[in-house]
Amino acid sequence: MFFLRKYKTIIFIAALLVVALSMIFYNLKYGTDKSFLRKIVLETIAPVQKALSFSIASVKDDWSRYIFLVGIVDENKNLKKEIEELKAVLISYQESYQEAQRLRKLLSLSDDYKYQFISARVIGREQAALSRVILINKGSSDGLKTGMPVVAPPGLIGRLVDVSWHVSRVLLFIDENSNIDAIVQRNRTQGIISGAGSRGLIFKYISKTQDVKEGDVIVSAGMGGVFPKGMLIGQVIHVDKQDASLFLKINVAPFADFSKLEEILILSSDETKI
Amino acid sequence: MLYYLSLPFLSILLIALQSTIADVIFSDRLVFELSLIVIIYAGFHLDLIKGVILASVLGFVLDCFGGSVPGLFTFIYIVIFLCSFFISDWLDTEKIYVIAFFSFLCAFLKEIILILFYYLAFKIDLLMNTYFIIFVQALIIGLFAPLFFYMMSRAEVFFYGKKV
Repeated sequence: MFFLRKYKTIIFIAALLVVALSMIFYNLKYGTDKSFLRKIVLETIAPVQKALSFSIASVKDDWSRYIFLVGIVDENKNLKKEIEELKAVLISYQESYQEAQRLRKLLSLSDDYKYQFISARVIGREQAALSRVILINKGSSDGLKTGMPVVAPPGLIGRLVDVSWHVSRVLLFIDENSNIDAIVQRNRTQGIISGAGSRGLIFKYISKTQDVKEGDVIVSAGMGGVFPKGMLIGQVIHVDKQDASLFLKINVAPFADFSKLEEILILSSDETKI
Repeated sequence: MLYYLSLPFLSILLIALQSTIADVIFSDRLVFELSLIVIIYAGFHLDLIKGVILASVLGFVLDCFGGSVPGLFTFIYIVIFLCSFFISDWLDTEKIYVIAFFSFLCAFLKEIILILFYYLAFKIDLLMNTYFIIFVQALIIGLFAPLFFYMMSRAEVFFYGKKV
């Protein structure tokens, strides 16, 4: 008893350290903790983060609306020209799309699954420099489940890793822990897309004999049933044929600008085949 | 008692605030870890029990908000608090350059622990991609810490009439 009283501060600190270490080992062994306490903290942070983000976004909007009007006429002119060019491209794509639909019918091909989109707003970003996670304002009460793919036009951006009642965490593709099956759209070369943090993405396990060039578009391979096939991921920006390696070193720039994500869509599969 | 009751709410507010600051100022490319400066400040000025509880709560909130492995930030924050607490006996914690250098060192130490952990637990070598970011982040914390300490001392004088 005397010992406990004499060293109570040290025992208390040691206990806290042991609890923290136990949490680490438990989560390493059994996966991310989805405890009630964690959900409570997430639910409490969400409104605070939302309020702060809303106020800051309003100020930013006003700033960009009134201060950055310089040069808007030229930009408008250029954009109009670009729209006209894109209209022409769109018409040719529509033709190709209709042709593809006809061919698909002929070949009796169909998509594997029906998907529904659930829209959500980004209300926060993670604070750990080494992981890339965003916080969104929808949770299990809106039908979200862990593992669902997340999209921000024009393509995939990540998947849900933690779902609370009204808030969820999205692990972005650029996170170092993220790996997904992907293919090169041009020649269907298959590999793995891994996150590389601020450097974007790396397309792995492509042998030196494969033909992958700068500018090639990378899309999801649709394997494993988590991500739908053919969704845009990024574009090859650099291909390095390293002498010492069996594989090419391919850097990919994601299509989505992860620093400007505001609204996202979650692909909710009803698991019924068409 | 009021301190312990308000701690979770203030911690949540602080984490949300630092996340918003990072988002607005650095477009989410860098992390501005105000909570780490608070922990160092606590190490220099608070008593052991109050400080350890502050470090645990702040670390836990940060773990819930963004940590990929829950418990990691709680552990690191407690260790950094203890380092700051015990080292404050040997350092002149009123000097600006001491505060700046020690904060830089703590920020650097925190990132090194994280990188080591990721390497040992997941075999991911993050140092190659992030060494520049880590240095810049530690530098920002080192530069901002003296300002934070000054503002806190002014606040103490304003609220209590003297430095606590």
